[in-house]
Amino acid sequence: MPARVLLGIVAGVHGVRGLLRVKSYTADPLALGAYGPLVDDAGRPVALTVMRPAAGAKGVVIARVAGVGDRDAAAALKGLRLHVDRAALPAPEGGEFYCGDLVGLTACRADGGIAGKVAAVHNYGGGDVLEIEAPNGSSMLIPFTKAAVPVVDIAKGRLVVEPPVEIEAGPDS
Amino acid sequence: MTRSVWKGPFVDGYMLKKAQGVRAGGRNEVIKTWSRRSTILPQFVGLTFGVYNGHKFLPVLVTENMIGHKFGEFSPTRTFHGHTGDRKAKRVETPA
Repeated sequence: MPARVLLGIVAGVHGVRGLLRVKSYTADPLALGAYGPLVDDAGRPVALTVMRPAAGAKGVVIARVAGVGDRDAAAALKGLRLHVDRAALPAPEGGEFYCGDLVGLTACRADGGIAGKVAAVHNYGGGDVLEIEAPNGSSMLIPFTKAAVPVVDIAKGRLVVEPPVEIEAGPDS
Repeated sequence: MTRSVWKGPFVDGYMLKKAQGVRAGGRNEVIKTWSRRSTILPQFVGLTFGVYNGHKFLPVLVTENMIGHKFGEFSPTRTFHGHTGDRKAKRVETPA
């Protein structure tokens, strides 16, 4: 489990009064500051106040950092990465897992063999999908269902995968 | 121009046959398909399709909300890998 979770990054400045455009990686972009004190890469606290969503940019919010009052000072913060302690995130509900917790878990097969590591968690509207990267560099995509992933043990850093049988549907099959 | 109603939704015929076969078998199977143009029908709900995006077969678990859409809508051909942030993944139970 990572010690910190990246929640946003300063993308640029807004206006001449020290406001910032911040790209938020939270499900609700305006909840960027709702999980507790934000810190930068070095662990220094960043007193950020989210003000409103940025017009015309999905996932971007306008925010203010305490002590930053002009455009030059705001521009110096461009690229600042905003983290929060993993422990500050609320416990997920039953059957749910933070994607950040799943990434990096070792994927084992039911017989105990190693299938690879979880490289990413995707969701393109058709359910969550785990991308498992095998030791030889190839990757496979597994639907995040109880049938295909019967065991998820974040404390032990592993999950068990049972890849579903693939059958082809085509004009010749 | 929209498709004429009298024709009904378009779906490749072999998709229906395959879906019936998998549903009858009741096993944990992914139906690999290249037919991104097929409409998602109520008969497909609860099944998992591997929809080709030109590179790989992305698993798509069909739910009721997806009826009427095309398979290709759920298998993007260009992807951006963002950060996880506070995103959650839910492990769902597939209906038998």
